[in-house]
Amino acid sequence: MDATQLGKGGPRRSLILARLTGNGAFPIETRRMCEVSAEITGMTGAGMMLMSGDVPRGSICSTDGVSALIEELQYDLGEGPCVDAYNLDRPVLEPDLAHPAAGRWLAFRGPAVAGGARAVFGFPLQVGSVRLGALNLYCCRPGNLTDEQHADALVMADIAAQAVLVLQAGAPPGGLAVELEECADFHYVVHQASGMVAAQLDSSIAQAAIRLRAYAFAVARPLAAVADDVVARGLRFDARSGDMERKP
Amino acid sequence: MRTLVELADTLVADFDVLDLLVLLTDRCVDVFDLEAAGIMLAAPDGDLRLMASSSEAMRLLELFELQSKEGPCYDCFLTGLPVVNQDLASDAGLWPHFGPVALAAGFRTAHALPMRLRGTVIGVLNLFHTEPGEMNAAEIAGAQALADVATIAILQHRAVLEAQLVNEQLQGALNSRIVIEQAKGMVAEREGVSMEQAFTALRGYARKQNLRLGDVARSVIDGRLTASALSLRPVTDPS
Repeated sequence: MDATQLGKGGPRRSLILARLTGNGAFPIETRRMCEVSAEITGMTGAGMMLMSGDVPRGSICSTDGVSALIEELQYDLGEGPCVDAYNLDRPVLEPDLAHPAAGRWLAFRGPAVAGGARAVFGFPLQVGSVRLGALNLYCCRPGNLTDEQHADALVMADIAAQAVLVLQAGAPPGGLAVELEECADFHYVVHQASGMVAAQLDSSIAQAAIRLRAYAFAVARPLAAVADDVVARGLRFDARSGDMERKP
Repeated sequence: MRTLVELADTLVADFDVLDLLVLLTDRCVDVFDLEAAGIMLAAPDGDLRLMASSSEAMRLLELFELQSKEGPCYDCFLTGLPVVNQDLASDAGLWPHFGPVALAAGFRTAHALPMRLRGTVIGVLNLFHTEPGEMNAAEIAGAQALADVATIAILQHRAVLEAQLVNEQLQGALNSRIVIEQAKGMVAEREGVSMEQAFTALRGYARKQNLRLGDVARSVIDGRLTASALSLRPVTDPS
């Protein structure tokens, strides 16, 4: 991978590429992409999420805990700025999560604000008509993006999408590029737990996954934490009563 | 000008690149009052192949075929320079095979314009007249503009195809990893073993049966393969 694979363009693009590859290091680390996204737009933090078939698949990287929370909430709840940016195929801007556009993200916004995010922005990661996911930016204070910040975010999302594909192009056949796994969270424990619950309920994986999510939502816990309990055999699902049983 | 706008519109929408190239050759014929036009592209092996033609007449297709070795397209492709206003009757000596065949097919004048990207030539736009006569500088510039549109269309198409392919590989890799994690959970629960033991059993079965791990995992999830069939524990001799 070298810089020419990320395309040529105007001064804004050159500046971002220079930041990404400042020490001439290739391949570009996904973590560096998130850091530069936050730096050049002057945001508190940034993260990148992979999506497919309208469903979040996991986070490739995030700069900090709040950013990771924003991605995790979207994975758990299926709503938020990245999900919308991906589905609507355009940037999604929420300058004040505490007073959002009517009806926006009823489940997502409360925990996101409590976690420390006041303004959130989603930008699609795409190459031509090929959609990969979305870049999220957040700020701990409310406020709109300036035109400058908005333009930088668009260029950054474009570079990041191409960089992800360039990284994956070097992956072994059938596998995921090692560089993409490095800082990623693809929620493997949730899938392990879905398999266990499917065996417990003698149901399909899809039904088991829904039960897991419904339970996590009902007890207001992160899906990953509930999945951890299942895998540690501290929590079982019962087919007959529909009740959950917590082991000591 | 109208042609360029029409072609640009086609570029913006989701387009089929072959449709666009055929449209482009048709427009060349209309705009420059030609008998025929064709687009030849360099294949990975370096040979020129016909991609689009304004007509499917055999005599024309054969002419394009010949040019993988010799002719205005071949010269243009090698040098990267336009080959224009070639009178096939007087310049026949240039191309001992192509010249006589083109004349016999009823063509009198040929032009070849390079499809250039920075330093490389990716293909050639080939134009044929049945009458002797020259294209003027404005017409040549117009034809070159159409060749450039074709170049952009092809490059865009290639970039998107490549991105699509890599994205499919990415999604496929992620999917098979997820299916393996789900199968691990199922086996771990059914057999009362750890995730690691479940994984070792799945992988061992895949190796022994010479199957892909992802396929074994999918069979477990679909119920086509029971967790107990993975022989997690060594079978103890009953005696």
